[in-house]
Amino acid sequence: MIGALWVCERDIRKFVHQPFMMGVALIGPFLMLILLGYAFGGAVENVPIAIVKQSQGATSDRILDAIIADKSFRSTQVQDLNSARRMLEQGRVRAILYIPSGFDTAIDHGNQAFVELYLDNTDPVSSSATRGALSRIVSETARPEEVAIRPVLGGVVLDVAEYYRKVEYVEFMAPGSIIQALFIASMMGGGISIIMDRQRGVIEGYLVTPLKQAEIIVGVLLAGLIKAIFSASGMLILAVLFAGVRPNTTLPGVILTSTTILLTGLGLISMMTAFAVRTPLVEVYQLSVVPINMILYFASGAVYPIEGFPSWMRMIASVNPEAYAVHALRQIMYKSADLAAVAGDFAFLVVFTCLMCFLATVAFKRAL
Amino acid sequence: MQAAVTMSDLTKRFGEFTSVDHVSLEIMEGEIFGLIGPNGAGKTTLIRMLTTLYPPTSGKATVAGFDILREPDSVRASIGVLPQAMTLDNELTAWENMNIYAKYYHVPPQIREERIRELLKMVGLLERADYRVARFSGGMKRRLELVRSLIHRPRVLFLDEPTTGLDPQARNAVWDYLRKLRDEEKTTLVITTHFLDEAETLCDRVAIIDYGKVIAIGTSAELKRAATGGDVIEASFSSLGEDILDALEKLPIIRKVTKSQAGLTLLVENGAEALPRIVESVNASGGKIKSMTMREPTLDDVFLHFTGRSIREDTRIGRRRFIGMRGSFTR
Repeated sequence: MIGALWVCERDIRKFVHQPFMMGVALIGPFLMLILLGYAFGGAVENVPIAIVKQSQGATSDRILDAIIADKSFRSTQVQDLNSARRMLEQGRVRAILYIPSGFDTAIDHGNQAFVELYLDNTDPVSSSATRGALSRIVSETARPEEVAIRPVLGGVVLDVAEYYRKVEYVEFMAPGSIIQALFIASMMGGGISIIMDRQRGVIEGYLVTPLKQAEIIVGVLLAGLIKAIFSASGMLILAVLFAGVRPNTTLPGVILTSTTILLTGLGLISMMTAFAVRTPLVEVYQLSVVPINMILYFASGAVYPIEGFPSWMRMIASVNPEAYAVHALRQIMYKSADLAAVAGDFAFLVVFTCLMCFLATVAFKRAL
Repeated sequence: MQAAVTMSDLTKRFGEFTSVDHVSLEIMEGEIFGLIGPNGAGKTTLIRMLTTLYPPTSGKATVAGFDILREPDSVRASIGVLPQAMTLDNELTAWENMNIYAKYYHVPPQIREERIRELLKMVGLLERADYRVARFSGGMKRRLELVRSLIHRPRVLFLDEPTTGLDPQARNAVWDYLRKLRDEEKTTLVITTHFLDEAETLCDRVAIIDYGKVIAIGTSAELKRAATGGDVIEASFSSLGEDILDALEKLPIIRKVTKSQAGLTLLVENGAEALPRIVESVNASGGKIKSMTMREPTLDDVFLHFTGRSIREDTRIGRRRFIGMRGSFTR
């Protein structure tokens, strides 16, 4: 297998000799991050929220019904606050509406009553929309024609707790840009260079040397992966410098971030390699990767939460590796989430990457 | 002397098309062996089988004593290949290009540096070892590629059109290195070419291949004797009618008459005797000769004799050059 190292060394040497190309690979994702990042915002629908209702009474029932009926939310009722918090931490809900046990009693006694709202503010677009919509619902449902409730009208206060530090929209976008940098590097390093090498007969040249097929495939994928990781790291640094991103620098955070990038990078490089070796013309390849990049990037929740997508786009997102990678990076970078919080994302990425490695190997072997 | 390459009934079919058709050949150790024929004749397919890129449809072959089907790894370790197209990495230096290939061939690190230095020196590129290949001329690139294929001291070297695209000076330089290689290292060289002068001046023996078959084999002198057995007369005419052609074809001293661009090419047994008879015959049938030259036959005449057409008439050569140019633009 040592031959794989030499095949990889050649690709990396070529890469190092072309500093200009490294920059080119980052321009696209960087501009996207800066331009879109500072310009966007909007209304959100179907936000998943958890409702913890520990109070029994007419007012709390009406609030609950109104939330369930509202199309802004997809609500789940949860028994206790701790399990709801767990759901928030794992990214399964964006907010928790907590109606404490004394709520209805307080209103009945004419006292001020509180509900609490826990917001996953690492997603600023949907958290601000959630806050707005919940305030509206609570104030509207507390103004019915029933006389009994009237006295406590002004007493209902929505108590908002921002669960995490404030995350700007451009920061929210940064994980998507890092994943996009991975994709662009895979597309150039894994794709175009393979097509060029095949056209020039370099790959055929490998086959008359003692290099084994497996060594060639592993070497090419390894070189592509190194280039992609280099690119993603460059993007991360740019995001820290120009988008104010403060990544999770704890040891578990660094490990989980690297794992996400490594896993996604290997998956994408394998995918693009499999695609490239089946595409004999570099022009055809170049034209087809532009829409692929757009679909993967925009249907990943990188610029806008997936909850805001129409159902057909949500279907794309559900099989889009970039969607899982972006979700995982957000959990890790802004929420200091642990492995359990990203286990689902990792599971998808592992399956995706294994599948793509297999496809790349089969396609490459057929092309050799 | 031992055989470096043997082929027996080696055949390669692509669907209905037979590219290499029952080829049996023996190439001796230390020999420079030429495979000539027009493009599409099957030369490259033959080389691809011998270098383990294609499995043969039927037949057997050994290279450096190893069976190409059963011991491909041993074959690959003992051969060098100079492909037709440039496969150097333009972005890397000459040294890096050499070094990475040395690694592919598992040349031990202790001797790698010395070997690269020695080879670069041989082709006069040692001073440019740290230059990027992109800055090299076509001839320099070809020389570098040639020594790159020698990095592991192969026992058999396959060269696919080694001098295509080179100017005469660069061609001569490459030929000198190849002869030196054979004389000093006893390397066996298998060369495909459609330059007949290359086969004639460089190769010890030549096999003419057409439609996948070996149609003649021997030293160029032997082939010329067998094909023409005499001299070649080129004649051009002020006026040339069909009756002149008929009259000439009836002359017993003339073995073959073919039309060429300038006029007629005549294969004769004895030029000195034939010249006056040809003049007589042309004059008698009312033609007028503008000029006549007598010369030694070349391999082109041999090819003409065996295939009935000139190797230069093949239009595919022109088309392939065009594709080659497109390739260089996309690079």
